[in-house]
Amino acid sequence: MPLPSQLAWLIPLYGFCGMVLALPWASVWIKRNGPRPAAYLNLLLTLVAVLHGSLILREVLAHGPQHLDVPWFQAADLNLRIGMDLSVTNLAALELVTVMSLACQVFALGYLDKEWSLARFYALVGFFEGAMAGVVLSSNLFMSYFLLEMLTLSTYLLVGFWYAQPLVVTAARDAFLTKRVGDVLLLMALVALSAWAGSLEFQDLYRWIDTAQLAPLPAALLGLGLIAGPMGKCAQFPMHLWLDEAMEGPNPASILRNSAVVTCGALVLLKLMPLLRLSPLAIDVLLVVGSISAIGGALVAIAQVDLKRACSYSTTSYLGLVFLAIALQQPLLALLLLFAHGLAKALLFMSVGSVIATTNCQNLTELGGLASRMPATTTAFLVAAAGLTGLLPLGCFWCFGLMVETFLPEHPLLTAVVLLTNALTAFNLVRLFRQVFLAKPHAKTRRTPEVTWLMALPMVSLAVVVLLSPLVLSRLDPALLHLRALSSGSTLLVLGSSLAGLLAGVVVQLDEFWSRSLFRPLRLLQDLLAYDFYTERIYKGTIVAFVAGLARLISSVDRVFVNGLVNRIGSASLASAETLKFSVSGQMQTYVFTVVAAILLLLGSLVWLKA
Amino acid sequence: MPVIPALLTVAGGRPSAAELETSLLAGQTLLADSPEHVVEVVDVLCSYGEVLDAYSINLIYQAEHQFLNPFPVFRFLDGDLSPAKIWRHLNHDRINFEYAEYCMKAMLWHGTGGLDAYLDTPAFATDCAAIIRYKTRRDLLLGVLHPLFPNFLPEAIRAAATTHALGQFWRVMSDLFLDLARAEAAGEVASIPAVVEFIKAGLVNAAANPITYSVDLGGERFWVLPPEAGLTFLVDVAVPYVEAVFLRGMPFLGTVSFNAQAQQISPELEQFRYGALYADPLPTMGAGIPPSLLMQDMYRHLPERLHNLYRLRTRGEGDVRVKICSSFQKSMFCVTNAAINGTFPQPLASPDPAAQAANRAYAAAWAQRLAGARTDCLG
Amino acid sequence: MLSLLLLIPFLGAATLLLWPSTPAPGRMRAIAITALALQLVWSLRVLVAFDPSFGGMQLEESVAWVESIGLNYQLGVDGLSLPLVLINAALTLVSAVCTRDISQRPRIYFSLLLVISGAVNGAFLAENLLLFFLFYELELIPLWLLISIWGGADRAYAATKFLIFTAISGVLILGAFLGLALFTGTVDFSLTPIVGERLAMGSQVVLLLALLVGFGIKIPLVPFHTWLPDAHTQASTPVSVLLAGVLLKLGTYGVLRFCLGLFPEAWPLIAPGLAIWAAVSVLYGSLAAIAQRDMKRMVAYSSVGHMGTILLAAAAATPLSLLGAVFQMVSHGLISALLFLLVGIVYRKTGTRDLDVLRGLLNPERGLPFTGSLMILGVMASAGLPGMAGFISEFLVFRGSISAFPLATLLCMVGSGLTAVYFLLLVNRAFFGRLAITPPTADPSADGRLDIRLLGVDLRETLPALGLSLAVVGLGVWPAGLGLLGEATSTALAQLPALVAAAQGGLG
Repeated sequence: MPLPSQLAWLIPLYGFCGMVLALPWASVWIKRNGPRPAAYLNLLLTLVAVLHGSLILREVLAHGPQHLDVPWFQAADLNLRIGMDLSVTNLAALELVTVMSLACQVFALGYLDKEWSLARFYALVGFFEGAMAGVVLSSNLFMSYFLLEMLTLSTYLLVGFWYAQPLVVTAARDAFLTKRVGDVLLLMALVALSAWAGSLEFQDLYRWIDTAQLAPLPAALLGLGLIAGPMGKCAQFPMHLWLDEAMEGPNPASILRNSAVVTCGALVLLKLMPLLRLSPLAIDVLLVVGSISAIGGALVAIAQVDLKRACSYSTTSYLGLVFLAIALQQPLLALLLLFAHGLAKALLFMSVGSVIATTNCQNLTELGGLASRMPATTTAFLVAAAGLTGLLPLGCFWCFGLMVETFLPEHPLLTAVVLLTNALTAFNLVRLFRQVFLAKPHAKTRRTPEVTWLMALPMVSLAVVVLLSPLVLSRLDPALLHLRALSSGSTLLVLGSSLAGLLAGVVVQLDEFWSRSLFRPLRLLQDLLAYDFYTERIYKGTIVAFVAGLARLISSVDRVFVNGLVNRIGSASLASAETLKFSVSGQMQTYVFTVVAAILLLLGSLVWLKA
Repeated sequence: MPVIPALLTVAGGRPSAAELETSLLAGQTLLADSPEHVVEVVDVLCSYGEVLDAYSINLIYQAEHQFLNPFPVFRFLDGDLSPAKIWRHLNHDRINFEYAEYCMKAMLWHGTGGLDAYLDTPAFATDCAAIIRYKTRRDLLLGVLHPLFPNFLPEAIRAAATTHALGQFWRVMSDLFLDLARAEAAGEVASIPAVVEFIKAGLVNAAANPITYSVDLGGERFWVLPPEAGLTFLVDVAVPYVEAVFLRGMPFLGTVSFNAQAQQISPELEQFRYGALYADPLPTMGAGIPPSLLMQDMYRHLPERLHNLYRLRTRGEGDVRVKICSSFQKSMFCVTNAAINGTFPQPLASPDPAAQAANRAYAAAWAQRLAGARTDCLG
Repeated sequence: MLSLLLLIPFLGAATLLLWPSTPAPGRMRAIAITALALQLVWSLRVLVAFDPSFGGMQLEESVAWVESIGLNYQLGVDGLSLPLVLINAALTLVSAVCTRDISQRPRIYFSLLLVISGAVNGAFLAENLLLFFLFYELELIPLWLLISIWGGADRAYAATKFLIFTAISGVLILGAFLGLALFTGTVDFSLTPIVGERLAMGSQVVLLLALLVGFGIKIPLVPFHTWLPDAHTQASTPVSVLLAGVLLKLGTYGVLRFCLGLFPEAWPLIAPGLAIWAAVSVLYGSLAAIAQRDMKRMVAYSSVGHMGTILLAAAAATPLSLLGAVFQMVSHGLISALLFLLVGIVYRKTGTRDLDVLRGLLNPERGLPFTGSLMILGVMASAGLPGMAGFISEFLVFRGSISAFPLATLLCMVGSGLTAVYFLLLVNRAFFGRLAITPPTADPSADGRLDIRLLGVDLRETLPALGLSLAVVGLGVWPAGLGLLGEATSTALAQLPALVAAAQGGLG
């Protein structure tokens, strides 16, 4: 094996090392100098990771995939290993993750230029990147789970970055707990799978599934457990709430979260895909969840008044489409969509970030008229929007085309879901563009010079990548660039849906759109979508209330019955409760008495035995 | 053994608007006069003066030498590209010029006063056009971008103009604060009223200083803020600065949610209360608190006398930057106090009822605004 | 070799008690720390001498003592007890180190610490039931004194409760041991598994249940846990560290060594019930923890939850689950000690542990940022986040138990998932937000103006916690070492029922 591939295990370590190297600044051990060296070190290590990854990718393209394997923990029949599959897919995903991380770190230098806790931010991003790099390369479910949980932790810490801000407190908590629910379910499935199948290597699991004889119930539970983890990670209904709240975190982290992190979650699901055959129920759930997320996410996005949230719900929506592709056992489609979406969404969030940095504002109703003054930001938004919708022959156009092509014959309903999502997204992006970039300037957007080069440069570079994305994607699927791959019917359907969304976005009256309708049913619908189907309230009323109520119940049982009983027994046996509470020295005697009695009993019985 | 929380939690006073108005009209200082306050204010202003000196030099350098540079990589180095300076820059062993830019952005964004008004005049547009004509002919990138995004370059020139004006403003303030420290050392200033008087005199002296800005492009001089515009120090730059940085400020990401649905930030810029006089010193050096940069800069230039005073208080060296922030707030109240005293519409001693009424109205307006500020540091 | 593990702490205690004149408290602390450091070094020396590939007792020492009643001084160490001996040495040292400014009777305080550590070592190393019982009882009195003299305001009540419960525990254990002698008619108190020939199954089950309840009080299992939260809240920080980190392990050690080890035949009969008991305990502890407002009480209830999983592992009695039990004992020891240390720091600096009062302690200059960071690490470790000790321990337990008791295992996993809920509430309430140590008033703008003047935390004060954090991460990243140490013994222990059954079959 050539050297770079042999050293592939270093790739996740670059990120983790970055975290460790940032600690002297993050822990304020270095007090007189500022925190920027931590940022530079992390950037450097990420750059090394990018280069190392591309070296391996070149080797793998030339000589075929490789596998790395190191034992980690072995006991009895359990064998946990650190394994990496150096395949083209995994390495491409790795490049996506590391390049995104690099771009986001450069962007953060600009976005967080007035941030004193910069070292902590970069330490967390390093941790984040290390975990993501490990997840995409991992060749076994145990390591994937291990690192997914680390992602959960670093999401919590990154969302909680501005820990003193009141809404961050709840946002970080909810992000962690929602993901944790998915993770615990995944852990259950993982533990069961480990006990049943023995090995947790994906390849071994694929072999095991061919011969496995599972009863329907365990199979169904296993399937549901396996999809629960990725559902949480990919912010799918009904576990999507955290993504909305996670927007309280710093924007550079949002860039990563909406592009790379959700991709990691979906990649794990992709690796689990062959196992899902075991449970038709899990497949059905995937289809339902994917469809609801795709359309629901797109609808909720349209009703948002917050710029970041209007974009983040569309992540839920696109990952819903990825879930559909995985449910229909179309790994390549899922991958293409993940890549196309990841690139374009990152760009969209960079553009959003620079709007926020310039205007100190996320409220759509207070934004407007930026287009003529901010070339990089405007271009980035336009390119990202084009890359996300099926209008110009950029990434998502081909993905949607292929999806329609593949789904149409057997699943016309799912085809409709894809087209509707596309149209709704187009509508949303057009109305966002009009609102933010075209409408008349408001007080907060009156003076808006373009952002610094540290933000503009990654934005423009990524815009170029998105424009070239069909070329990049064609490396994954060589058939992609041929127009023949798409029938004219599918092309027309995709174009038609995009145009419909576009036109609707152009003609809709923005002012009317925002004022709540006087027509009651319409107003109810507006509110329903604006507040995300009241998911938060539903959670509060059901699961949160249930757990809290149960906790209170147990606690009062504990206090009143268990403890009360003890106190009564105590007071009955020891004269009075007052003695129990106050007379310590008295208890000393009781104790000595007990011990003496015990020893007498002991000796007596032994003597009796001897006799 | 654990201590009683009451000892650890201190609530400062909260004077009402009426009380503030009374002391303003009576010519009393807002900050109570005590020897310790004098040390705090003078020494913190002394370190602030040194920091402002660096800020001012850098802002003027940026406006003159990094003008419309799309990649101002070395903009904080003031043209000194020696390896030692670059190393110090990389090691972050330097002044945090980012904070100066932050204040500039606040001024530009809030856009009040004479300077901002001038940036929207036809005269300014004409000057811009000349610069843009020159630039687009020589710079291919700008030549392509300008027709597509016609407001891009004018907006950048507006930012450069604000940068330069702020640099000029801070030049004066830096000299004033360093003079104050010298005067105090010489025994000429020994009380808070004297400090306020000294600053007021300095502001009044500089009030009519002209604010001008021109750039040198290929040997040719282009005016951005020409002398004919008649911009002056006090009303066109100092007052907008106080408005943007002391009073309104910008919400901190570390304490305020930008979430539109949460509606924590007012849509009206006039309602903003995030400025230096309103900010909470306790989270200083925390995440998302931009003034931390300034506190760090002042910490690195802290006079030994004040440093020793801090070492005796609360955590000593451990929370020195929170204490700097708190002293800084006191000194900013003194500066505001001086500015108010210097801008009363009529002489305070005037017996004329109309003049008194005008003064009362003026003082009342200020007192109203200051009542919500962090007046707990004044006692 | 092993006797030194007893001698060092006991001699240290004797030195302190017999020290001429009255040395300064700092000097006494130094003596105690020296003795405990020696103990730790010697424990490591035992680790070096230990052969991990052999599952039985090693380095045995035996002296006949009161042979007529079967009480022999018989010590030995195996893969089950060695990790616990190490944890004992480390955590007693930590609790001595984190004892500062002790004004009241330092001489007795430190000698009691040393006595406890020696007695615990004795209990872990004893190969004789009566010897075990002696040490088990010996550790109670000092602990009771530590709570009742150096405890909080309500210490008398808590200490008495502790005393009554553990006395009952002792009586039950002694009763069971004596019953063993009574029923079998011999005074053989060695660690030989009891088989059907020697004792009828009915008597076996009765004795086993008595032992289980006895040790269940110590672990503690619901409903015998109620002494623990009170003892913790009233005990001082070092005592809590010792109690949670070391003394609770006596209970689980007893279950594994004496319940499973002595009654391998009867064990499978009651195992399903135990698994359910474990699940109830885990869920009960976790849910009760959610409702707590006192940080220390919350950590105490979390102990109830986490110790329950060890019972699950014992019930399943597979090689993997038993190894998981060893892991869980070690990692719970480290993590709960860490959490108690950190809560102790918060309490010392703010004067309160009330989650309705504390806010924003992560504040960098006036708060406790380093303590807060370690606290986040600690709660994440406790919640079973990978890369830290809690995850691999729980994973082993669950993986080892799921085939035997799927439902109970899944319920325990739910319980361990709930850990994240209450500890996240703790961290988010006490450490996020604006700094405050008084309850919020009706006027938030006035609250936002309060100046909070907490004293800083010295690096010295945090060092023990830092050390424990590193150990937690170290064990989580590299569990293979402990796995190697415990595997042979847990495999041997797990095979006991099968071996006994096979032997029975062969004879019958």
